[in-house]
Amino acid sequence: MLKILVVDDEQLARQRLISLVEELHPGQELIEADNGLAALEMASSHEPDIMLLDIRMPVMDGLEVAQHMSRCTNAPAIIFTTAYQDHALEAFDIHAIDYLLKPVRKERLKHALERARILHSTQVDQLRKLDPASQPRTHLSATVQGNLKLLRVSEIRYLRAEQKYVIAGWPNGELLLDEALTSLEQEFQDRFFRVHRNALVALEYIDALIQAKNGTYSVKLHGVSSMLQVSRRNLSHLRKRLKKFPSNH
Amino acid sequence: MKAETPGKSSFLPDFCNVRMVFVVVLIAELLAIVLTLVEDTFLIDGAANLALKSLFIQWMALFSIAALCLTRPYLSMISDFRAATVSYLLVLIVSLLISETAWWFDNNTPALGNLIPGTHAEFLLRTMGVSAIVNALALRYFFVQHQLRKNIESEAEARIQALQARIRPHFLFNCMNIIASLTRTQPRLAEEAIEDLSDLFRGSLGDAKQFSTLDEEFSLCRRYLRIEAHRLGKRLQVNWDIDELPMHARLPALTLQPLLENAIYHGIEPSNHGGIINISGKTAGNKIILWIDNPLPPPGYTVHHDGNQLALENTRQRMSAYYEGEGKLEIQSINDRYRVELTLPYHVENSSRR
Repeated sequence: MLKILVVDDEQLARQRLISLVEELHPGQELIEADNGLAALEMASSHEPDIMLLDIRMPVMDGLEVAQHMSRCTNAPAIIFTTAYQDHALEAFDIHAIDYLLKPVRKERLKHALERARILHSTQVDQLRKLDPASQPRTHLSATVQGNLKLLRVSEIRYLRAEQKYVIAGWPNGELLLDEALTSLEQEFQDRFFRVHRNALVALEYIDALIQAKNGTYSVKLHGVSSMLQVSRRNLSHLRKRLKKFPSNH
Repeated sequence: MKAETPGKSSFLPDFCNVRMVFVVVLIAELLAIVLTLVEDTFLIDGAANLALKSLFIQWMALFSIAALCLTRPYLSMISDFRAATVSYLLVLIVSLLISETAWWFDNNTPALGNLIPGTHAEFLLRTMGVSAIVNALALRYFFVQHQLRKNIESEAEARIQALQARIRPHFLFNCMNIIASLTRTQPRLAEEAIEDLSDLFRGSLGDAKQFSTLDEEFSLCRRYLRIEAHRLGKRLQVNWDIDELPMHARLPALTLQPLLENAIYHGIEPSNHGGIINISGKTAGNKIILWIDNPLPPPGYTVHHDGNQLALENTRQRMSAYYEGEGKLEIQSINDRYRVELTLPYHVENSSRR
């Protein structure tokens, strides 16, 4: 028996998919979620085999859900559903990612369910990069002891590279991410600023720029105790940027 | 904003255009004929008089066109009011120069005989007087013509935008999907959704009329809301407070529904728990004031397409076109809500005329 998670913010859209799946494969276990974040929670608690995932949703869009899911060890197979995707569908084809157009046809759904497979994380990352309308992720994720741990981007104070990992810091601790600092810098350039070769800080949370006795500068970030050093190269850029982005704290 | 600048045309026509030159020459000639006709001596020496007047007026017209054509790049950059003032003065200066030249020729070429009667001051007063009046009339004519064209354009644009919103793929295919879903479970609701969708299309297609009443506008809004309610479910809540309004009051068709669509697109759709849209209105003296307000989108949310901003701009344009300054659209951001305020003039006596 398969466990299928149906994700769509429109209740009637979920209802139709569920009844179509029931007609095709009676007796499957069907569960549903009405937004991306809820889908991730459902996925980690119920461990579905297949996810029928709408792309455009509030809170977290389907592509971001797929990005987080693909980092999990027990990731389900994902089939995207969408009403319309502008020019992005070509990108789906390039990366051999399956999608269904709404209203979904029964035969297409049957076919898709038969060959549904698990997406590779690079596949989804690439896809998102190709999509001109894609927004920065709302969350960053990591697997901690096999469980997916999500961290809201708006909570993060700093991102610091350490060997082959990146450490994300927020008031309640730190999380080890399997990502590259440069790509994070690119994705969140409106939010984070590079203060050092190995660190980005959230502009929003900069409390103060402090000079130490030996002449080096560090930034104090709101809500966390650790200070991050500012390299001489980035100091003037940071000052300029801070003038444009007055701190709220 | 940049994309809009080519659309913003000066109210002055293109005087470098051959057709425009012909029109001006024609007007000048008609003026010459009128001036000849009103003279007492018309029957005696009408032909000679007409020739002389034509010569004089055509010189003025052609030099004025040349001046306006040459200054066109500058005139199209400044505001309408300034452009009107500058071009008016320009034509007056040209008139003065031509008059002076004519006077000089008349007095320094004995072979011509004395063609211009009266003193120098009298001559200048007469020519400049006529030039000032005709010039003012011509400017007014160009301005009115431009206004008319602009109104027709914004009217057509409103329809196109409403239609584009209907066939915006996300809206259309999601509607189809909803109908497909309802067909299985609740055929009667599916039927209703198809009827509502048809009315929405009809409202934005060509056979719709230019004016409608508040009653009709609100009923179109309700149909639209019913469709969105199928999609958004509990996320969409609407409060109506319009009992005080005179339902027979006239307003341009398709004014409210696009504003409502805007409110849903930005205020409800991006949010997981949705929100409330308030539609309210009151009459104040001889004015009707309508408000549509929605919650602001959650922080960090960015708009994918800017067609909606265009809808607001277009409504604003239509308000000022229909009501010549008496109607307006204002946008306010109060606390965590976004509010559109629409003011329409309302006259009890002519509102019943349909």
